[in-house]
Amino acid sequence: MSAWLQQALERSQANQDWLTPSRNRALAALQSTPWPSRRTEGWKYTSLSALEQLSAEAPAEQPLSEIPAIEGLDCLELVFLNGQLQSDLSTLQLPAGVRIDSMASLPPEQQVLATTQFANIKPERHLFGLVNDVLAQDIVFIQLDDGCHLPQPIRIVHQSTEGQQSHQRVLVRLGHKAKASLIEQFLGNQSSVTTAFTELDLAEDAELDHYRLALQSGQALHFGGCHFCLHHRAQLNSTLIGYGSALSRTDIDIIHNGEHAHAKLNAIYLLAESEHFDLHSTIEHAKPNGTTEENVRGIVGDKANAVFNGRIHIHRDAQKTLAELNNRNLLLSRRGQINTKPELEIYADDVQCAHGATVAEIEEQALYYLRSRGISRSQALIMLNFGFIQELVNQMPNQQLAAWLQPQLRARFKEMEVQ
Amino acid sequence: MLTIDNLHARVGQQSILKGLNLQIKPGEVHAIMGPNGAGKSTLSYLLSGRDGYEVEGGSVQFMDDDLLEMEVEDRARHGLFLAFQYPVEIPGVSNMEFMKESVNAIREQRGEEPLSAAEFLKKAKEACKQVQLPLDFLKRGVNEGFSGGEKKRNEIMQMILLEPKLCILDESDSGLDIDALQVVASGVNSQRNSERSFLVITHYQRLLDYIKPDFVHILANGKIVKSGDASLALKVEKEGYAFLGIEATEEASS
Ligand SMILES: Nc1ncnc2c1ncn2[C@@H]1O[C@H](COP(=O)(O)OP(=O)(O)OP(=O)(O)O)[C@@H](O)[C@H]1O
Ligand SMILES: [Mg+2]
Repeated sequence: MSAWLQQALERSQANQDWLTPSRNRALAALQSTPWPSRRTEGWKYTSLSALEQLSAEAPAEQPLSEIPAIEGLDCLELVFLNGQLQSDLSTLQLPAGVRIDSMASLPPEQQVLATTQFANIKPERHLFGLVNDVLAQDIVFIQLDDGCHLPQPIRIVHQSTEGQQSHQRVLVRLGHKAKASLIEQFLGNQSSVTTAFTELDLAEDAELDHYRLALQSGQALHFGGCHFCLHHRAQLNSTLIGYGSALSRTDIDIIHNGEHAHAKLNAIYLLAESEHFDLHSTIEHAKPNGTTEENVRGIVGDKANAVFNGRIHIHRDAQKTLAELNNRNLLLSRRGQINTKPELEIYADDVQCAHGATVAEIEEQALYYLRSRGISRSQALIMLNFGFIQELVNQMPNQQLAAWLQPQLRARFKEMEVQ
Repeated sequence: MLTIDNLHARVGQQSILKGLNLQIKPGEVHAIMGPNGAGKSTLSYLLSGRDGYEVEGGSVQFMDDDLLEMEVEDRARHGLFLAFQYPVEIPGVSNMEFMKESVNAIREQRGEEPLSAAEFLKKAKEACKQVQLPLDFLKRGVNEGFSGGEKKRNEIMQMILLEPKLCILDESDSGLDIDALQVVASGVNSQRNSERSFLVITHYQRLLDYIKPDFVHILANGKIVKSGDASLALKVEKEGYAFLGIEATEEASS
């Protein structure tokens, strides 16, 4: 076991709670799993040495800087500082049909429900998921009743500060025909360690728009995951946007556990300096007639490193599955690196499954068209390169969020261009 | 405005323009007709500066400049505009962003201040109305998913916004229904003045009913083989190109 993990375990109070059996299971699994090296499956391109180099002494916790609002967007807010829910900054008045509990105040009958979901959607193979099982403190459980259409998005902000280590866990359960929009946002660029895992269960005909924004740079070390279980005709539209920071690893699982479910996953990464961004996605088609559309696009500048592993697993019974995976990358510098690998495992015979991975080339025709309107070659290149990211941003169902993001992403891209 | 003198050009190994002469003065409207494959689009690409065309001889003077020496974007900034026969789709770059960038690049060349977002929006909305495209076309990706006719109208909208000196329209009428044809034609007519010149490439005399040309030229086999006034277009419409003996020339050359 790693020295970092050893310390983290020692530091956490071994409090007994209703999750103790699940936590113990995770701890046992952790203890029997060798700590990953570059030879370990799934960790070939991502080194964990930065974790071991952290100082064990945590400086005093800094007060919370103001959380920037998303202009034009009225949200139900949940704010966490270093893993602790800040009730003074969170929305406590909730509309009918939705309940949000934090673990400490969860009534016993809800505990039973939460236990059935906790660590049951997220597969055991995610090492930092296990770490999170053991160490997560202020778990929130968000539930939407059957048929509840939540008008505002729920926004969960995770702020980390210098030297802190936090372990966040969110459980989301959408009832039959429920409809919601969830924004998960990570803030804090200073040296810190975060593990943040979210497990989401979408009942029959439920619809979820989901956004995960990890626009962190600097020294932050981020290990996270989103794990979705889709039941009959459930619909998921998820957008992940990340910068690299010193180390960022995200695991996504989408499990089609009912027929006719639809998943759309768009992921964007914009990496600068020597940032490292690693995305592993797994789509499990366990039932027939499901559809998946996955688009992953990244721009890698300077000495940054992008890793993408996209696995689609179509089980034997999952006939008539339609799955598509596309990964396009743009490398702005010779020192940058992109390692991308699609993995298709198809055991059903009547399916359509396609994948493509390309390092994008700017189309001469488009370049000529822009120039023929007086736009300089260099400006045209910027527009086209950024356009291929913008295309996915434009697909976000929440256009106010998109409008808020665009200038930030554009500014980020301009910085990357300059180097 | 534009003087093309004995222009020879090829694409790859194939010679396409073989001694083309044309002179356009300010405020004039010239129409070019000619059989498929004659070299009309090649001429328009060459004038706008697209890569892949090799000039083998001759010259092109655009106002005070040697056009062939200029970069694509500089030609546009000096007032040359080409409405494409097949405009490209650029998903991810919004029409609005594209046109604002373009208008401001050209304003800069003229020594004018860039337009603010609000000022540009106002102009863009007017232009959009003028070519009868719904306003949400400003937000969509450049030509992304536009129908053939919508693409053509989008080209005319750009022309209106950019206020060029020389407008080359490459088959801006093809694929248009009767109403759209009138929209495009009145867009063009609204821009006609004593300074601005037009080179209108078309296969159909019908367009020239709406946009009255001062001169009509027939381009065949890489050259202007006949020039005349608007009545030449009517003759072509009635008789085809046979009266010019074009087939014979083409066979002779191949
Ligand atoms: N890249 C190329 N490589 C080889 N031949 C080319 C290329 N581009 C054009 N040509 C040839 O040059 C000739 C002239 O083409 P051009 O597009 O200019 O014709 P056009 O007069 O515009 O025809 P249309 O009326 O059909 O639009 C054609 O024979 C065409 O096949
Ligand atoms: Mg043509």
